Amino acid sequence: MQMNDSQRIEAPRQKVWEALNDPDVLKASIPGCEELIKHSDTEMEAKVKLKVGPVKATFGGKVTLNDLDPPNGYTIEGEGSGGVAGFARGGAKVRLEEDGPDATILHYDVDAKVGGKLAQLGARLIDSTAKRLAGEFFTAFAEQVAPTTPEETAAEDGAEAPEQKKGWLGGLFGGKKADPTAEEPAA
Amino acid sequence: MNDMTPTREQREAALEGMGCKRKRVEDVRFTQGKGQYVDDLKLPGMVFGDFVRSPYPHAKITKIDATEALKIPGVIAVLTAEDLKGVNLAWMPTLAGDVQMVLADGKVLYQNQEVAFVVAEDRYIADDAIQLVEVEYEELPVLVDPFKSMDPDAPVLRPDLEGKTEGAHGPRKHHNHIFNWEVGDEDETAKAFAEADVTINEMISYHRTHPSPLETCQCVASMDKVKGELTVWGTFQAPHVIRTVASLLSTIPEHKIHVIAPDIGGGFGNKVGAYPGYICSIVASIVTGVPVKWVEDRMENLSTTSFARDYHMTTEIAAKSDGTVTGLKVHVLADHGGFDACADPSKWPAGFFNIVTGSYDFPAAHLSVDGVYTNKAPGGVAYRCSFRVTEAAYCIERAMDILAQKLDMDPADLRMKNFVKADQFPYQSALGWEYDSGDYHTAMQKAMDTIGYRELRAEQKAKQEAFKRGETREIMGIGVSFFTEIVGAGPSKNCDILGVAMFDSAEIRVHPTGSVISRMGTKSQGQGHETTWAQIIATEIGIPAADIMVEEGNTDTAPYGLGTYGSRSTPVAGAAIALAARKIRNKAQMIAAHMLEVSEYDLEWDIDGFQVKGNPEARKSMKEIAWAAYHAPPPNMEPGLEAVSYYDPPNMTYPFGAYFCVMDIDVDTGVASTRRFYALDDCGTRINPMIIEGQVHGGLTEAFAIAMGQEIRYDEMGNVLGASFMDFFIPTAVETPHWETDHTVTPSPHHPIGAKGVGESPNVGGVPAFSNAVNDAFQFLGSTHIQMPHDSWRVWQAAKDLGAHG
Repeated sequence: MQMNDSQRIEAPRQKVWEALNDPDVLKASIPGCEELIKHSDTEMEAKVKLKVGPVKATFGGKVTLNDLDPPNGYTIEGEGSGGVAGFARGGAKVRLEEDGPDATILHYDVDAKVGGKLAQLGARLIDSTAKRLAGEFFTAFAEQVAPTTPEETAAEDGAEAPEQKKGWLGGLFGGKKADPTAEEPAA
Repeated sequence: MNDMTPTREQREAALEGMGCKRKRVEDVRFTQGKGQYVDDLKLPGMVFGDFVRSPYPHAKITKIDATEALKIPGVIAVLTAEDLKGVNLAWMPTLAGDVQMVLADGKVLYQNQEVAFVVAEDRYIADDAIQLVEVEYEELPVLVDPFKSMDPDAPVLRPDLEGKTEGAHGPRKHHNHIFNWEVGDEDETAKAFAEADVTINEMISYHRTHPSPLETCQCVASMDKVKGELTVWGTFQAPHVIRTVASLLSTIPEHKIHVIAPDIGGGFGNKVGAYPGYICSIVASIVTGVPVKWVEDRMENLSTTSFARDYHMTTEIAAKSDGTVTGLKVHVLADHGGFDACADPSKWPAGFFNIVTGSYDFPAAHLSVDGVYTNKAPGGVAYRCSFRVTEAAYCIERAMDILAQKLDMDPADLRMKNFVKADQFPYQSALGWEYDSGDYHTAMQKAMDTIGYRELRAEQKAKQEAFKRGETREIMGIGVSFFTEIVGAGPSKNCDILGVAMFDSAEIRVHPTGSVISRMGTKSQGQGHETTWAQIIATEIGIPAADIMVEEGNTDTAPYGLGTYGSRSTPVAGAAIALAARKIRNKAQMIAAHMLEVSEYDLEWDIDGFQVKGNPEARKSMKEIAWAAYHAPPPNMEPGLEAVSYYDPPNMTYPFGAYFCVMDIDVDTGVASTRRFYALDDCGTRINPMIIEGQVHGGLTEAFAIAMGQEIRYDEMGNVLGASFMDFFIPTAVETPHWETDHTVTPSPHHPIGAKGVGESPNVGGVPAFSNAVNDAFQFLGSTHIQMPHDSWRVWQAAKDLGAHG
């Protein structure tokens, strides 16, 4: 599975770089991430709950950061096993480009492979799932480094019976604003 | 006699014997949901087994820890290769002379390979436990492409064979090489090519697919430790062989093993082999002392128990400029997966692929097959065909079209020119077979006339012109296929399975009141044996088919036979049935002579009894004779009326047929619609025309599936794609074309009733008809060969590659 795209984030490049190295931010941004432990500046361990089509599993694995080039980018590589559900491995080249002093364009180039039941049953869903997960990641990540203005938040929080997805997003950044270290259940 | 005496016609009709469109007797229970399949079996105390399978296609196993799984209430045991080693069953022999892991022994060779067997009180608990068995894998480089199997640096798939330079079928030339098999005269063939006016050379692939019966493989094993007897109910196409193998492997004496194949929901070759599920269930029952049931799920079936095909055939034909073929040269690269578990008679590593000269009179031919290992599931079964005959038919039928294209000849005319002629039978083929009978020209002409072949070609020509002028986006293909099958394995001189000669058998008992029970060594999986076997007996001994019960599948009661696959039931067991019936008729003649107080030579057979020659009113019906056999047999004659026959066929039978497919293809969407499909089959004597028609419909539907999309595909990582019905094409009534069937009758001269077998012909002949139709459609755009399967995406891609999209 390959995916290239870029995302504009309303925050200075240094701030984005720091967030990309902050396990708490990453944990809150990675969809389904239940655990993210930083062992060193370049090694992390993660536990992620993932659902692709009919296959659902908790993947445990290692994440390493290579080619560190602050604040321009790095390569992130990971490998995880979901037991009988299969396994996944892959990486992403991340490059940060300044877009004026207050905004950054994050370019990413993902190359990932899946195996086992995940590939057997989910093959046709992998690309669409990956795009959805990337979308969720960046929405959450952007909220971490460049929180939405309070007015917008208030408007959303004030809405009666918000639809589930907005509720989840609202809850996520709402919690972060109150206490950046507070842990939020990732969906 | 009075007016109520039935006429000869009425008596004949009452038998519902050979040639009658008798309704299938088994359908009474099947259409009411009253069939008894393995999974219907529920025994007291029965537990369930299920497999932990490998997500990796090639990996070392460094650890298996079942501690957490065993903590779940209801989990009884988790078996691994280490446990099986204790009973010497971690590995099992395959039918092809290789060995295969029952449970992963230190490594796995394909995705979904069996790693551990969880035994639990129910299937749900077993499934939960599977998630908790912790297996540590260390990934190894994956080999998916068979063309790279014998690269010098290809990964070693089978360390257990290290240093073994001699395989079951001769020398191995590489660590991933299984066998080389050569047939024919290489020098003569080379000479034909040197002198040829025209030659063709094309790599024709027949992709990997799967028989995919709707009922998956399953069994219940029950060990009675007190009696020391093992009973196994299972989806077995060959129950007697399974019993012999089970006895040899388990060392339980054969008479203490009872193998029972109840109703089977389709086999198509998938249920010939012995699988790890059977072995593990037996071991688990021996260990636990209670019955153990194992039922494959769909993904397990498609991804582990026996693929079919996966032959890559480099095909060359030498010909004169007038189209006369002079030589055939084929090299096959056969992808056998991780173990060679190909289900062929022992001496035939590539089955009967040497039928590849087809229906044509090739004076010289040479064939070489190399089998290789890859990180894919083992198998290589005959999916509704005799051993590797479908591959051979596809190879030669595609190649003949390619030759016709090169010669700018009509493909039907090229075939007509090269057919073996009716007066050449029995015909010796250049690759070693003796074709028993055939009349190819008559069959082909009838087919061409019926479908209006010349008119169709004219229409196609006009459409091509219109396409070139930009007036239509639809192109038309006419697929021609003329196949010769080789079925009925087989003569003991060259056919055996693990040393057991491939005869078959029948036992017929006539009861005192004139009804009959008969048992055979074959096993129907949907072929309708209960109907057709009774018809053979009815005609032979004059007892109505309705009074004859046919029973198969229980090794305790049925005579030993090699089972049902490779269209062998009618050619082999059908002959045994006729011969056993004739023994009964011979004895009945002596009894009738005694009853009528004449010499047996003064009697003649008349439909359902014996009559005195020249005095037809002095007669005894079989019913009367049966009673006499038990009530007052002639002096010095044993009472009773029963017979057994074991039949060792003198030769194979060679059914053939002419199939035509007319297809319209939208080049912009890739959608190929079958406008007409005409199938003329010659299977010799026709026992039940309605059953033949049903078999042809079913086989054509499978051929349609295979040619147009059905595939077990692997990605470069070794993931098996196509292991569920989301991806694996099973046609429904929506996609399936309308079938037109027809026949000629050329009886087999060596078969007691002249029958040849038909169940597999439509699959064998159908695939090339579909593929040739697609290829024929694209020919005028410059295409020579497009590989199967021809799903819409690939057809669209072919159109694009040929510039048809502008």
